[in-house]
Amino acid sequence: MKVTVVMLTVLAGFFALVGTVYGIWSHGEAVGLGALLLCAGLAGMIAFYLAIAGRRSGPIPEDNPYAEVADGAGEQGTFAPWSWWPLVLALGCALSFAALAIGWWFLVLGAAVGIVGLIGWVFEYSRGIHAH
Amino acid sequence: MLALVLTLAVSGCSAEVQRGFLPGYEDGQVTNMTERITSLWTGSWIAALAVGVLTWGLIVWCVAVYRKRRDDDTLPVQLRYHVPLEIMYVILPILMIGVLYFFTQRDVSAIVDTSEEPDVTVQVWGKRWSWDFNYLDSNVWDSGEHVVDIGEPGNPETLPTLYLPVDKRVEIQVASRDVIHSFWVPAFLFKRDMIPGRETSFQIIPERVGTYAGKCAELCGENHSGMLFNVKVVPQEEYDQHMADLAAAGQTGVLGADLNPSDKPSAVTGEN
Amino acid sequence: MATYAELPSAAVLPARKRSLGSQVIRWITSTDHKTIGYMYLVTSFVFFMIAGLMALLIRAELFEPGMQIVSKDQYNQLFTMHGTIMLLLFATPLFAGFANVIMPLQIGAPDVAFPRLNMFAFWLFAFGGIIAVSGFLTPAGAASFGWFAYAPLSNAINSPGLGGDLWVFGLALGGFGTILGAVNFITTILTMRAPGMTMFRMPIFTWNTLVTSLLVLMAFPPLAAALFALGADRRLGAQVFNAENGGAILWQHLFWFFGHPEVYIIALPFFGIVTEILPVFSRKPIFGYKGLIYATIAIGALSVTVWAHHMYVTGAVLLPFFALMTMLIAVPTGVKYFNWIGTIWRGKITFETPMLWAIGFLVSFLFGGLTGVILASPALDFHVSDTYFVVAHFHYVIFGTVVFAMFAGFYFWWPKFTGKMLDERLGKIHFWLLFFGFHGTFLIQHWLGVEGMPRRYADYMPEDGFTLFNQISTVGAFLLAASTLPFLWNVYITTKSAPKVTVDDPWGYGASLEWATSCPPPRHNFTSLPRIRSERPAFDLHHPEVAAMDHVEPDPGVLDWEADRRGEREGAVATKANGEDEPEQSAAVIVDEPPAPGTDEGQEQR
Repeated sequence: MKVTVVMLTVLAGFFALVGTVYGIWSHGEAVGLGALLLCAGLAGMIAFYLAIAGRRSGPIPEDNPYAEVADGAGEQGTFAPWSWWPLVLALGCALSFAALAIGWWFLVLGAAVGIVGLIGWVFEYSRGIHAH
Repeated sequence: MLALVLTLAVSGCSAEVQRGFLPGYEDGQVTNMTERITSLWTGSWIAALAVGVLTWGLIVWCVAVYRKRRDDDTLPVQLRYHVPLEIMYVILPILMIGVLYFFTQRDVSAIVDTSEEPDVTVQVWGKRWSWDFNYLDSNVWDSGEHVVDIGEPGNPETLPTLYLPVDKRVEIQVASRDVIHSFWVPAFLFKRDMIPGRETSFQIIPERVGTYAGKCAELCGENHSGMLFNVKVVPQEEYDQHMADLAAAGQTGVLGADLNPSDKPSAVTGEN
Repeated sequence: MATYAELPSAAVLPARKRSLGSQVIRWITSTDHKTIGYMYLVTSFVFFMIAGLMALLIRAELFEPGMQIVSKDQYNQLFTMHGTIMLLLFATPLFAGFANVIMPLQIGAPDVAFPRLNMFAFWLFAFGGIIAVSGFLTPAGAASFGWFAYAPLSNAINSPGLGGDLWVFGLALGGFGTILGAVNFITTILTMRAPGMTMFRMPIFTWNTLVTSLLVLMAFPPLAAALFALGADRRLGAQVFNAENGGAILWQHLFWFFGHPEVYIIALPFFGIVTEILPVFSRKPIFGYKGLIYATIAIGALSVTVWAHHMYVTGAVLLPFFALMTMLIAVPTGVKYFNWIGTIWRGKITFETPMLWAIGFLVSFLFGGLTGVILASPALDFHVSDTYFVVAHFHYVIFGTVVFAMFAGFYFWWPKFTGKMLDERLGKIHFWLLFFGFHGTFLIQHWLGVEGMPRRYADYMPEDGFTLFNQISTVGAFLLAASTLPFLWNVYITTKSAPKVTVDDPWGYGASLEWATSCPPPRHNFTSLPRIRSERPAFDLHHPEVAAMDHVEPDPGVLDWEADRRGEREGAVATKANGEDEPEQSAAVIVDEPPAPGTDEGQEQR
């Protein structure tokens, strides 16, 4: 984790530096200055979060160069075996985006499918045979 | 020493190769910038090809020499790193880039410089899909239409032609009436985009009498490939004569911004 | 590896044949990163072929002066959609495909961090692509304003029609898919590595996936913003990109801030694929592993700062800044090149098809990189910008990277994906046809551009003198297209009748963890994980004697502290002192020929 924190902090510093230099040298060209500073912010935000998460979790087996495979034994996570909901939600999003091009009436269909998909996805493992 | 060797080596090649296949003529430089740009181009290409030959050479060497022999089952030395070598090939490219950057900066500053007072000022409007030339000093204008049948022979003589006096400093101000176009004269080794809402200018001293092709170099719609023109560099007398001819034809004044299309949809579909 | 007791033949159960319908449902509801990856790979390859056909139409039209095949507006639609599809619906999803299949295997993870999100991102890409391309079905045709959609050409006044609107919103949808995919990859790499898989033991392909995904997070949101603003201008009467307010340059800054990192998003994963292949077929580890990582990060970081080198000829950008940053990117790219050469240097190289493709990449991309340095100089770019010189340059770098490395990856990982090896002979025919077709098409275009042919011209005059070079290029293009046929045939007959691979690593010297599990892997990738003590755990597993004698030097030095050499150093030094050391010898059989098809060699019950 520390490697990534260092890398992202360096990147944040790099973008902040380059963005500032560019902003001054170009007499305030807004897109470049704004976008570069935002990239610095993005890298810094991720670095900050990882630093906090790393401190909270302590040493993890994947960062231990002498770790044995058994050190990572146990539950690996929750992995959906299969699901219809990504397709449904994506269809809803697609119809909605197409509606932005085709016509506003189409958005009704897209929004309907999308809301059904979103709710189905979120509650997939809280209902029915999959309930946790 | 290296420059001498390279010059000797290159001098055996044709004139076309010596200018790196850039457009050009053996009887004179087209503009005051031609020499500068051409030598930066050929110098950069020689350096690039040297790097290329070295790298391709290394690859071909490996492919040829390090083939696994048929009954050789042992592994080669499992070398993972070599710090001095790696540092060398970080530092050396930085130095080469530094050299290229120095020459680039020197040449770019000269090319884009508009601080000097021009002898002649021409304003060129790009429009869908041709050119309006305003000869501001002479208060005359000329205007063109796009080529319809580009593939038919005989078009070059019919193209709208921009006249420029030889050996005079010309300032060309470019602007656009509608979408982005680009004013490109390949023989000048230079182009400048024409951006609606923004005027920009550059200066050039044409040094060779002749007629040069001009092309729009930014996609502007259906007839982008028909947006062609000529630049005719002529002695001062012929230039003055052309200005008089335009005045006599009643093309006095300036084709200004009032001619820019307002928010009308343009008829794009259905045309061929 | 478990073995199964032989059952009497009468009791062997026949494999259950799924109906086509249930097979399709299994695919479209899958949350398995491998299946999703295959869907990305197949869909993007289909888009590749569609855009390739468009390229053939373009090249056919340019064979001679005059419009023989399509109208000028149709021509504009063709190159617009060719560029859009190739960059956004082929190369970018292809990265998502390879990353999906390979990366979790390489880090020893059972799947990606967010499996349903993974599938969702795929559908966003697929549906977004369909929406964008469906412009061809509208009366006015598809978008025709070039894949960079410069304002104000791309607004509703200058390019009215549903095709342009579908392009805008289809790409916006697909862009969100790419962003979500990147989020998934970053999270997986950071949180789901196997024990002992430290960051500096991860395979280079995985590192490149990480850097690429970070680039996606930085580049795609500006694209989404720009597309929504353009969509608002086109559909809602917004005035964001009005020319009077500097809208034309505003669009260019926004687009290229995305557009330049995008081409590195496209390039970096495929550099990673090549980096995986070279050591396997040279039988040596990667040379300069850490240098490659630092170079990749440097390329990623610099690529965000160079965008306006696409705008040199506007006269509106800070030339010295962008020239400097653009020239600087050549440095880490050169470092990578020399590290690749260092990997094959003094190796023992065999030229199976993956290696042919990797060497083909090294030879081809180099020229594109060199023309890139030329283009970095504004003084030189003023002449050749927006000409066929640039078209040649970017086809050399993009095609040279993406297509060569894609096929390298296909031939290399086909056994891992499908359990079968693609035919070597057909592969070699494929390679050579493509190699000559590619160079035949694009090398000559450098001259066309320098001589004065602008890009995006539907037609040219006979007096221009461009005809011969265009004809050469067109012939090359048809050869290039034809090269796809042996590949498709290869895929077909391999699926039908090639023998199954029975080992984890049919190539013999695979380094990363995907070669430590079966071909193809089980549902959650590993039934057992090997101990990870270096950047090539599968190699260490399969060649333990080599791992032990890897470092006979007493002091491995500061750059090798990640590998666990406890006890090995002392043992190796002692053996050398005693004179008992043996020449380096691999215990594995070198796979020189695949088992003959149709024989029993490859068959086994599982």
